[in-house]
Amino acid sequence: MAAINRLLPFGFVAALLVAWEIAARSGRWSKLLFPSLSSVLNEVVAFFTSSALLMEAWVTLERALGGFALAAVVGILLGVVMGRSKFVAGLLDPLFSGTYAVPKLALFPIFIFVFGIGSLSKVALVFLECLYPIVIMTYAGARDVNRALLWSAQNMGASRAAILRRVVIPATAPFIFAGFRVAVPVAMIVVVITEMVSSADGLGYRVIYAMASLRTDRMLAVVVVIAALGYLLDKAVVLARDRLIYWEKLDTYYV
Amino acid sequence: MARTLLFLTGILFLGNSLAAGPLIRLGRGFAAEEQLWLMSARPDLAPNQGKRYELKQILFQANPERFQAYLAGELDAGTAPGLAIIFGSAQGMDFKLVASICLEAAGKQYFTTQYMVKDDGPIKSVKDLKGGTIGVVGIKTATDLWARAGLLNAGLVPDQDTKVVPMAFPVIGDAVRTGKVSAGVFVEPFYSAEMAKGGLRKLFTATEAVGYDHELLDLFFSEKFLKANPDAVRAFLADYVAVTRYYLANTAQAKADLHKAGFVRTPLEIYLRNSDWKRTPDARVDVGSLEKLAVFMREKLQWLEKPVNVREMVDQSYLPTR
Repeated sequence: MAAINRLLPFGFVAALLVAWEIAARSGRWSKLLFPSLSSVLNEVVAFFTSSALLMEAWVTLERALGGFALAAVVGILLGVVMGRSKFVAGLLDPLFSGTYAVPKLALFPIFIFVFGIGSLSKVALVFLECLYPIVIMTYAGARDVNRALLWSAQNMGASRAAILRRVVIPATAPFIFAGFRVAVPVAMIVVVITEMVSSADGLGYRVIYAMASLRTDRMLAVVVVIAALGYLLDKAVVLARDRLIYWEKLDTYYV
Repeated sequence: MARTLLFLTGILFLGNSLAAGPLIRLGRGFAAEEQLWLMSARPDLAPNQGKRYELKQILFQANPERFQAYLAGELDAGTAPGLAIIFGSAQGMDFKLVASICLEAAGKQYFTTQYMVKDDGPIKSVKDLKGGTIGVVGIKTATDLWARAGLLNAGLVPDQDTKVVPMAFPVIGDAVRTGKVSAGVFVEPFYSAEMAKGGLRKLFTATEAVGYDHELLDLFFSEKFLKANPDAVRAFLADYVAVTRYYLANTAQAKADLHKAGFVRTPLEIYLRNSDWKRTPDARVDVGSLEKLAVFMREKLQWLEKPVNVREMVDQSYLPTR
């Protein structure tokens, strides 16, 4: 029974893929609009055997990770300070909550004018989009530190820096990683869209290039690569979380 | 009594639907298709409309979306640049190019797409674009093709020596002025607006880059629709040619009508002053220029994986005889 449960998600995905292949091969829809999975798979294989295309994936990854890393550094700093300082929270909270819903992608033309059409404008936008979930989650975590732990540390004569390092940061870490898990796919989405809007390289550019060539199979292959990269990045974040905050491994009980 | 009424109503509906002719769902763009828009803005100029065919024009911002709608069966016909039709043909799309809309042509009386640089900038010739960037409106569009042709003419390798980057028409002027791109592509009405602001100078034109006059925009129909409704297509194209002639003879009035009908948003006084692309009064397609473009796309740009038989994708038999 346990084995069946483990295989169930794969079975569902397999059934969907088989249904796709049957529908695509039925001839009901143009293959230019609805290509078969086998042709998409061929293009995926072609992607991974082309050094030029792998380089495009690397360019996209660099941009996504660059913006994400900057957002992580700034976001953790801001979130922790906001969580531990009423004054800073009062100053920045309205700014973050008031502008969270703003689609930052709409600001991309301005970013192009400020940072140019190269990688910098894309990294800057990824940074901005990733900053919000990281700041907000870190802020929530830093505010939520158990008071008993803080009082205990104070009673034992710990300095403010020691309390921050030994109590606040470890207690906030699960929230920080939750912010990372939200931010990582955001980074991939934003970088691909910016490359689709204005770029001469990267996976977003490849999507547009394939679309302009009416090669839906090739375009979907790039989408598969983007999805795979997003999945791997998420798994990397989960792995890092499990390693770094081993005491917080969650036991989930379904009732 | 009720049966008789029902019968008469049925006859009436049948009569109306037969009289109106089939509906042509036509995907259009947002630039340089004046005579086609005029068919909807001034239906009085198209006497067959409403009798032998009905026309519904649907606006699309870009070619891929228009082709996707066509492939999904939502369109019977559309407008597209010659090179987009070549791409579609290479991928086995079942359509025929039936008439020309406009051409990129040399000559002072015509507008041809311009590539411009900063007037006081360091780019004096195309060769100076080495290490720089050209702004175009889309990857694998006509503006991309001309940019690459211009670079190749100057001995530069596109993407390697000079980056070709897509950006929206409205921002290209400022992008060139602020040095974000070394050169950019300009079409009307942006060209006139940017020239009025000053500070930009021509580097090369589309016709100079390619070296000959060539088809810019064309009209295509699905083969299925052509086979099912040949008379409706003939009637539509007869109107189209008549409206094209009217447009060429009464350009100012036609432009004013299009502006009034909301097809054009540029201020009327600027729109009236803009020079126009070349439009042939008989709407005949310059097949030779498309053949040359197809060879260039395959051999110089490697944009086509296999040769395209351009003559096979063009069918001008539905146009009125000269």
